[in-house]
Amino acid sequence: MTLGRAAYILMLLSPGIGLIVVFIGAVVYIAVAQSFGYYNLIGESGFSWSFWIEGIDRKSYLRAVRYSLYVGLTSAFLSVALAYPLALWLRKPFPGSMTISAILKAPLLVHGIVAAFLFLNVISYHGILNQMMVWLGIFDEPRRLQNDEHAIGLIFLQVWKNMPFALLLLTGAVQAISDDVLNAAQDLGAGAWQRFLTVIAPLTVSAMQASLIIIFIGALADFTFQTTIGPTNERSLAQYMTFMKDRGRWNDAAVVGVTLMALSLAGSVLLAVVSRLAFRGRRK
Amino acid sequence: MLNRLMSATAALALTLSLAPAQAQTMDWDAVVAAAQEEGEVTWFVWYFEDRFREFTKAFTEEYGIEVRIPDGDHIANIDKMIAEAGRETGDIDVLAYGFDQLPNINPELFIALDGLPADEGRVATVAGIEGGAVAVAYWGNQTGIAYDPAKIADEDLPQTPEDFAAFWTSNPGQFGFNYENGGSGPSFYMSVLRAVSDVDFSESDDSAERIAALQGGIDFFNEHADDYVITASNADSITRLSDGEFTMVAAWEDHLAGLQVNGEVRDEIRFYIPEMGMFGGGNAVSIPANAPNANAALVFVDWLTSPEVQSRFNVEFGTAPMNLAADDSAALVSMEMRERQTAWPMRPFRDAVEAHFIDAVILER
Repeated sequence: MTLGRAAYILMLLSPGIGLIVVFIGAVVYIAVAQSFGYYNLIGESGFSWSFWIEGIDRKSYLRAVRYSLYVGLTSAFLSVALAYPLALWLRKPFPGSMTISAILKAPLLVHGIVAAFLFLNVISYHGILNQMMVWLGIFDEPRRLQNDEHAIGLIFLQVWKNMPFALLLLTGAVQAISDDVLNAAQDLGAGAWQRFLTVIAPLTVSAMQASLIIIFIGALADFTFQTTIGPTNERSLAQYMTFMKDRGRWNDAAVVGVTLMALSLAGSVLLAVVSRLAFRGRRK
Repeated sequence: MLNRLMSATAALALTLSLAPAQAQTMDWDAVVAAAQEEGEVTWFVWYFEDRFREFTKAFTEEYGIEVRIPDGDHIANIDKMIAEAGRETGDIDVLAYGFDQLPNINPELFIALDGLPADEGRVATVAGIEGGAVAVAYWGNQTGIAYDPAKIADEDLPQTPEDFAAFWTSNPGQFGFNYENGGSGPSFYMSVLRAVSDVDFSESDDSAERIAALQGGIDFFNEHADDYVITASNADSITRLSDGEFTMVAAWEDHLAGLQVNGEVRDEIRFYIPEMGMFGGGNAVSIPANAPNANAALVFVDWLTSPEVQSRFNVEFGTAPMNLAADDSAALVSMEMRERQTAWPMRPFRDAVEAHFIDAVILER
């Protein structure tokens, strides 16, 4: 390829790549530089390791990393795990399947903060759930369900919001598997679970990877759900970053922000590699 | 001759005594005229935007200057002002912010407010923080305890940390406070830390020794961890109190009053400042150096901090007036009780206490 040809191709790609490089690249650059002491909005700017050294040594930082990873990974795996059976169920059209599919995907249209407050109304002390449980006699009196310390409510909401996205990707992927392939597996004696592990999962691994990665990144960086219905004895990385920023500690906030980006990248690569390795062997 | 000399002297004295005021009045008239020429003012305030849009219609009627109030966030508004400081003309005419944020902002980003007409009642120092030439207070607020009088009698209200501990023990799960998303909870726990520990909260020194000296207060909260509830925010605390879940919560006086005026919280909910004291302060307004309508901004700040507007704030929002000539008779607490107000801890000590409390109490729950 001549230099002119390469420049021509680069020029054609520049509207897309250029946006990524300029907008995302600039933000990443500033965040990284800020974590090393540059772009200090208040006070002196200059290179320093101190923000990283002090930052990663803080108890709040380590807890936030651990908690965000828990939320990100649990939400991603549960969403995909729930989406698979639904995608398989909806693989072949049947009367009402379009309606069911539309209802299942409805949470995609509900904004996160709206969903969080709706959920809060349902589980609050005098909310619908408590009233129903008391009325049924299951609870003697209303129970405090919001902001539970194990983040069960938060994970539930993450899955409710993200499962439809996984369903959207996986439905297309499972529909692309021909009946012949599945029938052949059945003829060879494969049960339902074995057909899933050896045929369906390997053939839909790309959609699975995309679902896992995109849901993981979103849940890892969650702020809205955490500050509304999340446990009050834990803080997500996004929440912790905001805590720092609100106190004018931009460099410390940048350390958390860069950590968030690094974990998103590392976690995505890990999920992609693990899912590929887990099913590659079965595909042979 | 003597009479003529005396008359001339008196006239000269009178002229001299009136000269500054007349000059100021004339200058102010010119400012108002220039403001009306500008025709609009943009006020960046981070709360009650809808209600302020209604409230400031009175300003528009009086001066013929339109007030624009965009929706925004407290820190985001400050960040925006800082971010666009390099521009010749910014978007913000008047910036509202908590007085405690002032030490974090470079005062050179604001214009001096010495162009305002003299008003001895105007307040420029709140909770020990001086606004200097660039900031004046327009909103006085007070933290305290909101309570449901149907569940606790006035004479039983806790006044000291020991009283609160006794209440928690006998009424587990009936007291709530937040540690983020609002300052009422931080005011409560820091007031307890101050009362229990022997640490001077008026010093800004955030040395490890001073933080370690708070251990008595930290132990106090950890010993009673199962008996109080951590809420998600100021609003969450008040909502759940009004909903009947709690007996008492930490709250802001003006926040509670505003929600009651709007009918969003039960009118029966009452408010008090415990004898151990809780923090109070206020919000300030300043005019960025690159304000697009600086004259209109000055006129607006003068109107906002006037005794008449401050008296109306007291009635409609339950604020403590920030003009000494204003009427505060509609407040939720008496002037006598307001004497229990204490000043917020100075930064960076306050930030260090908050971070330590989260690590040592919240993350240990």
